[in-house]
Amino acid sequence: MAGVVLENLSWKKLIILSLILLMLLITFFLIGGLQAPQPNNVNIIIGTKCYARGRYVNREKWHIPRGNKSISCEKLDSLRPDDPKIISQEITDKQVVFAFWIPGPRDGQELKMHPRFQYMMSVLQLDIIYQPHNPVGLNPVMLLDFRLGYRNEGDREGDWKLLAESAEDRKLVCTISTNEKNETEPGSQYDCELLHAFEISSLHHDYYLLNLRLPPSPEKNINIGQIDDISLVTIHQNGGFTIIWFSIKTFMFPCVLIVLVWFWKRIQQMCRPPNLLERTLFALGITMSILNLPIEWLTFWLNIPFMLLLNDIRQGAFYAMLLSFWIIFTGEHIMDQTERNRLKLYWKHLTAVIVGCVCLFVFEMCERGMQLKNPFYSIWSSEIGSKLALAFIILAAVAATAYFLFLCVMIYRVFRNISAKKSSLPSMSHMRKKYYMGLIFRFKFLMLLTLFFFFIISQLSEGQWKWGDENLNLEYSSAFFTGVYGLWNVYIFGLLSLYAPSHKTASSAHADTDSQEEEVQLTNMPSELSTLQSFATKADQD
Amino acid sequence: MTETQWNGTVLYLLGIVQAIFVVVNANVWWSLGTNPRMLMVGVQPFCTELRELSPGQIRACQNHHDHMPSVGRGARLGITECQTQFKNRRWNCTTIEDDRTVFGPVIQIASREAAFMHSILAAGVVSAIARSCRDGELSSCHCSKALRPKELVRDWIWGGCGDNIQYGYKFGSYFVDLREKDKNHPRLSPELSRMLMNLHNNEAGRRAVYNYANVACKCHGVSGSCSLKTCWQALPPFKDVGKRLKDRYDGAVEVKFNKRGTRLIRRKRRFNKPTQDDLLYVNTSPDYCVANSTTGSLGTVGRECNRLSEGMDGCRLMCCGRGYNTFKRKLVERCQCKFHWCCYVKCRTCERIVDINSCK
Repeated sequence: MAGVVLENLSWKKLIILSLILLMLLITFFLIGGLQAPQPNNVNIIIGTKCYARGRYVNREKWHIPRGNKSISCEKLDSLRPDDPKIISQEITDKQVVFAFWIPGPRDGQELKMHPRFQYMMSVLQLDIIYQPHNPVGLNPVMLLDFRLGYRNEGDREGDWKLLAESAEDRKLVCTISTNEKNETEPGSQYDCELLHAFEISSLHHDYYLLNLRLPPSPEKNINIGQIDDISLVTIHQNGGFTIIWFSIKTFMFPCVLIVLVWFWKRIQQMCRPPNLLERTLFALGITMSILNLPIEWLTFWLNIPFMLLLNDIRQGAFYAMLLSFWIIFTGEHIMDQTERNRLKLYWKHLTAVIVGCVCLFVFEMCERGMQLKNPFYSIWSSEIGSKLALAFIILAAVAATAYFLFLCVMIYRVFRNISAKKSSLPSMSHMRKKYYMGLIFRFKFLMLLTLFFFFIISQLSEGQWKWGDENLNLEYSSAFFTGVYGLWNVYIFGLLSLYAPSHKTASSAHADTDSQEEEVQLTNMPSELSTLQSFATKADQD
Repeated sequence: MTETQWNGTVLYLLGIVQAIFVVVNANVWWSLGTNPRMLMVGVQPFCTELRELSPGQIRACQNHHDHMPSVGRGARLGITECQTQFKNRRWNCTTIEDDRTVFGPVIQIASREAAFMHSILAAGVVSAIARSCRDGELSSCHCSKALRPKELVRDWIWGGCGDNIQYGYKFGSYFVDLREKDKNHPRLSPELSRMLMNLHNNEAGRRAVYNYANVACKCHGVSGSCSLKTCWQALPPFKDVGKRLKDRYDGAVEVKFNKRGTRLIRRKRRFNKPTQDDLLYVNTSPDYCVANSTTGSLGTVGRECNRLSEGMDGCRLMCCGRGYNTFKRKLVERCQCKFHWCCYVKCRTCERIVDINSCK
């Protein structure tokens, strides 16, 4: 990539461009921080304890926590064995159903879910009370019988339709505090790990209803202590955040696309086929554009349950491309005698990226892919599944470490060669000197830019979770998300515009065939002088 | 006029005086916790009928009519928790029926016990309001903090609804502290010191709920990674709040006026400066060993105690050295039960005879 825009740009223009990009970046942060609400909202719904009359339990029947008397279920105030209603009716664990109507009411009004919420995931929080005669055993297994239904506003009251149902195993892990005498006081509450309930990635109905049973079974649902309450914690994206997020995408998509097209036209104007680095950069721009493509708007009108999965894949593809780009960019700037410009040379490094990404992809398909079929599925709930998931994650981590080591070694080699080149610069011919200086400048510029961005991200992510700063009207986590997203866009935008082949060298190359020849030679650069030089510096070091 | 008639008149007059005294002194909001009308769901008492409230609180009640059952529930929660925490103490948080102040004259003394009472009641209100808010019972829990929309449904879609604990804290501070802020008191007056003490202890109680809310998080980024993480605050179990405040009670700081008589400072400089979480008290506690109608102490005569314990529940300390009586009591219990996670259990009934010790 001989002669890119970056080298031939005057300082004034470079500074102006940097400032524009910086302003854009700050705007992204401010939009997230000042305009958007927090990215996600949490609703905690305490399960209504319903019971079914009679010995025979009809699983198909919906238990509805609210609504008029003929429809809503018969409620229990307490599940304790000494509760008068429990004793008088002889209610058993088979008859009890926990009913959750999502969303909960507010200010005496019934709220509705909205497609803008994008997705909803939920966990169960169990309030288990310690009683000396009925303690929680060592990690008992719970059997949870879920039924999830939905209803829309116009529908007849009580007309709930089934969305999904499943009986799932979950491991219950609880701890409890003890007092000074190392004994637990009766009535104190266990601290239990949250249990995964369900995850749905499209909210196209107004109300959702979850019925949860803990059916008696010989091995499961025993030694789980005295359950007082079960709350459902649901998390969904906020509508305001969704709008702002989509708007950012919609704005960035044409911007990056225009630069991408310009970049490709520049390459086409050159009288040579694009080299590896240019192709990589172009591919990076394409993945960015795919990520930017705001197809999510469709979810407002269409029911697209796989959108979350698709977004994850798009994001994964972008990050994989970015990692590959860094490897190839560094490799192409090593400035030694090997002939590069071929993808084959990087197979080791790219394998690390591919292995890592494939592992994560398989894991993703096992978790979110499976959740498309069964929203209650969680890979972590089964013994084999969690081991498999862990294996994939460890493999991905190994690949990431390998990648990082490769990258570090490469960067080290580049810097070693840079210092070697620097000492030999004065003795080089003008063209060669300019070539190497450009190469060094390009590399250092990207290095600094990348480090600067990582610095910003690390600074931001640290302060993401702070409670109690009420006076500050800044949504920190929203700013973080929009900011980081904007950051990558600006990064790609900057790379595409600054690392595109320069017009100036291209035109001069057309004018002068001699210099073009030399340039071609330079790009391939088998140079005796530099070999000698590097030998000399090596000898010096020795 | 015969002697009996005379006596009657005196008693009648005394009664009026007492009644006035009670009315003046006893507008304590926490008696809502024992007011049976408050505990009935759906029955909304008129604010002016609730003589438990101070004038400022009556106005607040009129503005937030639907909050009152929750306030009552919160007070109830506080009282129950107080009684479990102090089960084994000489003062055991006894409520007195038909008493407007609920706890009797004991609460009028600016002691550690009064400090604890105020804090746990304030904490109860925060808890109860936050819970009702989450359950959608109240007509004015603010939704999002977002500035733009100003209508419930748009608010909800735009920024969601959350932070019930924050609302509980805010409403609790507003409502509970109104009683103290109703009047102005002169410098160095005992009323002022009591007011400052109550305000501080109320805040300490609310903080025991608000600052110790359990933070739970869920990661839900790409492949469930923590690139996207959502955290929420869950109400701490009220038993934990009670325990925390009990610890603060044990380490409560004795305070006095500063020189200008406007602020309370620690009495003994050896001790650390009280923080906002600490409980403050002005006067030493009365003797809870013997009954005393002026201090309101009920004494420990007849209280059950543990013969083997060396602690506060042991007979030696509980009975204040007066000794104890032992008698046998037949207990009818359910036994040999097979417990499940809930509900009805088949048991046998067993009879057991236990020794009961009670203070002389």
